[in-house]
Amino acid sequence: MELMRLVVTGPVGSGKSTFIQSVSEIDVVNTDERASDETKEQKETTTVAMDFGKLRFSPEFAMHLYGTPGQQRFDFMWDLLIRKAHAYILLVAANQPKQFRYARRILNFMNQRVTLPMLIGITHTDCDEAWETQDIAIALGFSAQKHPPLKIVNPLDHTSVAETLLTLAQQLYEPANHQT
Amino acid sequence: MSINVEKLNQILQEFASTTNEVQGAALVTPDGLPLATTLPARMDEERVSAMSASILSLGERIGKELARGQVERIFVEGEDGYGILTSCTEDALFLVLASHQAKQGVLMLEIKRIVEELRSVLA
Ligand SMILES: Nc1nc2c(ncn2[C@@H]2O[C@H](COP(=O)(O)OP(=O)(O)OP(=O)(O)O)[C@@H](O)[C@H]2O)c(=O)[nH]1
Ligand SMILES: [Mg+2]
Repeated sequence: MELMRLVVTGPVGSGKSTFIQSVSEIDVVNTDERASDETKEQKETTTVAMDFGKLRFSPEFAMHLYGTPGQQRFDFMWDLLIRKAHAYILLVAANQPKQFRYARRILNFMNQRVTLPMLIGITHTDCDEAWETQDIAIALGFSAQKHPPLKIVNPLDHTSVAETLLTLAQQLYEPANHQT
Repeated sequence: MSINVEKLNQILQEFASTTNEVQGAALVTPDGLPLATTLPARMDEERVSAMSASILSLGERIGKELARGQVERIFVEGEDGYGILTSCTEDALFLVLASHQAKQGVLMLEIKRIVEELRSVLA
C-alpha cells in the first residue's frame, strides 16, 4: 500500500486544523489549547504541537495528514514534521494580507530543508476583502507567470479539501508537471 | 486579570536556588508563552516555553489515547538530567529541569509544594 505523508502548514487561522478535521477518517489528534497571544482576537484556541488525521483514498492509497502550529515559536515542530513529509500544502487566508509575508517565510523555511511537491491553498475566499489569487501570488513574491500551483480551497468543505488533496497526489505521481 | 509576574519570578528563583539539583524552572501558558522563567543561560526562554506546551499537550492527548486517565506529569529522563512537566492551573504549566543527582521522590514533593504556592499567586 502507498502511504503519503502530507504536511499542512501556514499562518495562524489559515485553516490547517479545520482542513484536517474535514477529511480525516479517524478521530483527529488535536493539540489545540487556549490562545493567550494575538491569536485570541481571531479565535479561542490554537495548535501547540500538531494535528494528525488519516484518509484512505483507495485500498492501495492512504494519506497521513499532519497539521503544524502557525506561530514561529513552534518552528521546531515545522522542522520535525517537514523532514518526514512526502508533500506539503501551504494554506494562506485570502482576507489576511498582513500574513502574506509571513506565509512566504514559512515557505522559505520548508524549502531550505526539503524539495517536495507542494501547493498553495487559498482559504477564506468567501470572506469580505478577500484578495484575488493572482494578487496573492505576487504578494507572496512570485511572478504572475511562474509560481507554485495555487488552488482555492474551503477547509470547512469536505469535497473541496478532498479535491485539493487529489491535485497534490497527482503532482506527486506525475513529477514532470510539478514546478516551484 | 493581572498576573503578579514579579512574585512568580521570585518564587521560581528561590525554588531553583534553594532546591538541590534544580537547574531551572519555567511557568508557561498552555499555548507556549513564558510567564516567568529561571533557566540555564544557554537556553532560550521562548523556545523552552513553546516546547513545554507542545510536549504537555501531546502527552495529555496520548495519555487519553492510551487510557491512562488524567496526566499528572510528563517525565523526561535524559543522560544529563530530568525534565518534568506538570499542569499548574488552567492557564499555566510548570517545567522543572534537574540534574541526574536529584532524588526523584524529594524532587516530586518539592514540585508539589511549589506548584501549590504558584497556584495561590495565580488565583
Ligand atoms: N469563512 C471561512 N472560514 C474559514 C475558512 N477556512 C477556515 N475558516 C475558519 O477559520 C478558522 C480557522 O481555524 P483553524 O482551523 O483552527 O486554523 P489553524 O490554521 O489551525 O490555526 P492555528 O492552529 O492557530 O495556527 C476556523 O474558525 C474555521 O472555521 C474559509 O475558507 N472560509
Ligand atoms: Mg491549528
